Amino acid sequence: MPIDWKEYNAAGVWDELIAPTGRARPGAGPLRKMLARLSDVELGERQAAANLAIRAMGITFSVYNDESPNAIDREWPFDIIPRLVQRREWEAIERGLKQRVAALNLFIDDIYHEQRVLRDGVVPRAYIEKSREFRPQCVGVDTPNGIWSHVCGSDLVRDHDGAVYVLEDNLRVPSGVSYMLENREVMKRVFPELFQHLAIHPVDDYPRQLSRCLAAAAPDGVETPRIAVLTPGIHNSAYFEHSYLAQTMAVDLVEGRDLVVGDDDCVYLRTIEGLVRLHVLYRRVDDLFLDPETFNEHSLLGAPGLMRAWRAGNVALANAPGCGVADDKVIYTYVPDLIRYYLSEAPLLPNVRSHRCVEKSERDYVLDNLDTLVVKPANESGGYGMLIGPQATKRERERFRRRILANPRNYMAQPMLTLSTAPTWTDGRLEPRHLDLRPFVLSGHERYVTMGGLTRVALRKGSTVVNSSQGGGSKDTWVVDSTATAPRARR
Amino acid sequence: MPTLRTLSRVAESIYWMGRYLERAESTARVVAVNANLLMDLPAGASLGWRPLLDIAGAGDAFDARYAHTDERNVARFLTGDAANPSSIASSTARARDNARIVRGAMPRVAFQYINELYLFVREELAGQPSRSRRGAALDGVARRVQQIEGFLSSAMLHDEKWQFLRLGNHLERADMMTRIVDSLARHPNAGGGFPPFEQVIWRSALQSLYAMQSYLFSTQGQVERGPVLQFLFANEAFPRSYAGCLRSLRFGLRHLPRNVAPARVCERIARRLKAARPQRLDGTALHDFIDDCQIQLNALHEAISITYFHFEPAAPPRGPGEAPA
Repeated sequence: MPIDWKEYNAAGVWDELIAPTGRARPGAGPLRKMLARLSDVELGERQAAANLAIRAMGITFSVYNDESPNAIDREWPFDIIPRLVQRREWEAIERGLKQRVAALNLFIDDIYHEQRVLRDGVVPRAYIEKSREFRPQCVGVDTPNGIWSHVCGSDLVRDHDGAVYVLEDNLRVPSGVSYMLENREVMKRVFPELFQHLAIHPVDDYPRQLSRCLAAAAPDGVETPRIAVLTPGIHNSAYFEHSYLAQTMAVDLVEGRDLVVGDDDCVYLRTIEGLVRLHVLYRRVDDLFLDPETFNEHSLLGAPGLMRAWRAGNVALANAPGCGVADDKVIYTYVPDLIRYYLSEAPLLPNVRSHRCVEKSERDYVLDNLDTLVVKPANESGGYGMLIGPQATKRERERFRRRILANPRNYMAQPMLTLSTAPTWTDGRLEPRHLDLRPFVLSGHERYVTMGGLTRVALRKGSTVVNSSQGGGSKDTWVVDSTATAPRARR
Repeated sequence: MPTLRTLSRVAESIYWMGRYLERAESTARVVAVNANLLMDLPAGASLGWRPLLDIAGAGDAFDARYAHTDERNVARFLTGDAANPSSIASSTARARDNARIVRGAMPRVAFQYINELYLFVREELAGQPSRSRRGAALDGVARRVQQIEGFLSSAMLHDEKWQFLRLGNHLERADMMTRIVDSLARHPNAGGGFPPFEQVIWRSALQSLYAMQSYLFSTQGQVERGPVLQFLFANEAFPRSYAGCLRSLRFGLRHLPRNVAPARVCERIARRLKAARPQRLDGTALHDFIDDCQIQLNALHEAISITYFHFEPAAPPRGPGEAPA
């Protein structure tokens, strides 16, 4: 049977592909038409083919739970129906992201130098002093071009009214870009005919751009820097990605034990011929595990002395240590102010309305409305430690009330957004499922934004939790030229 | 362009990947060929499946897990039994683990091929496949390994990493060859027994190593103990012979820096081979010679390991400044 779009019902929600009238959104017409030509059996076969390709290509991620001491390697859950973004809308988002990341980098640099932003009272000093992510070891360090967060992954969501908001900025070690790239590879295998007929912008420039961005961070005077990706190792949940990026950039994938920091404060690789100097380290290890001399003394994931080499300017660490100070759900609430403060520009992309629990009136509002709000701790990622008010039990809400009162600085709350949906292949038919979008922004000599990003989709009906560790999947993201694909204008 | 020296850890992983791939293939061949051999020998003239455990050096581990040394148990132990570290299932799993580590050093599709081999073994050799299904699966393992090695040979940059892969391949290949010969040579019919059975046994040695045609072409003679031993040990032109593997090992080492210690072991192995003339050795002497071969190969492994994988590099210069390139 062909897909019956009349049965597809995304009522009350913004659907990315199908408008409430049942017609396609601008630019999505050809895709809707081509999908309609396939029967449910054929679509099921394409989904099976995609799953098979993912298994054979070894596209995996690891999940942890309490029952098993080792991470379990799982195949990457992928939905074959792409998510579309119009080129014109994308260009506006791209400008907004570049603006945001520019301001965030200026903020971090300021925090570790003059702290003008605190002196001028834009951000209260107490937030920074009590931030778990503020690193005194970073004070006074000059990074090339003043860049701290070389790779940023910002999460975008679209509410029921169609407006796009930034939900959070991941400035530390954002992951997911390899899945964005592999999703495209899988789609090309599964739907070759679609790529012939639609003007879909390619995404595969990313590794080259990342490599340029990292080279730009190299210490002064190094012409051909040796670059490496630092991974915690094969059992890390994002190991696939670490390996993927090293491979596509043609650089070494290293572990802490491959590195030696000499008395000369330079970083060396252990090679078959002896020690060889390393200039740029794209580290996918958290700050606190980077250097046992400075942080967690038991860490085996980093290398003793890395911080002293970085402080001496002999190695670039990307992202720089300490940049998590801006990757904090409370600091997030100030980003529009930071854009105005550092760039004297109006913010192009809106934040989600947010309530800071440290302010009494806001806190009272949050405590009175726990059943409608989403409460987030300042320093967690991966969807952990959140309260989703409307879905929580009374007991969970009470637990959060106590937590907020005990440590108000650590919490902020937002209204529950109705994330947009897109058709998703579920049990033999297409149903709307909620999704978000994570584009990646690179900062080097210039800024680069991925064409689209990683679309994450909550595969469970009604769920808005898109994290792969919690039942989320992903879709290929197509930035399409609506000029090339829009229906002919009426005369 | 400056040479990008290979990380010691990566070199070690790629070396082991080469060894495990080769081990999976050899084991598949040995089990398949033994099943054929048994069909050609009358029940009384056969040693059954025990010799295969000797090849793998896993007799004790087997006895600890199985009560009877029969085809069913030995084949299972050597193929799909993940608890046996030298089984095909373990070898392919460890080849894949190492491939995950060095994924970035190979053409992208190489990991997919190795992953497919692993998935194939997991699906086809788990449980108790029938004899014919097992035969097809063993053939599938050998073919997939050959596909991987052929692909890597034709698509991978022939740089240092490639040399480590080949060192792993050839060291394992030489080792397996000596083990196969050792186990067959101990057979009561292997030397001067009843000629038709002697032929069957040495034919199976050649078949395990894909050597039958090469042997016939280069010797133009019968399949007999002496010439077969001469061929399998000393004929450099045959890439799976001991001498052929040795040549490849020496060639590979020439392309690596700091190769003095392992190259010296290679020279020693070559001298001993030349002096021994294995075709003339009788039962015990041959066994002792093969024992020595394995000790030498192990010494070569140690030399490679200490030289390249596990050594304490000279300290970097004190004070600011560039390290030697």
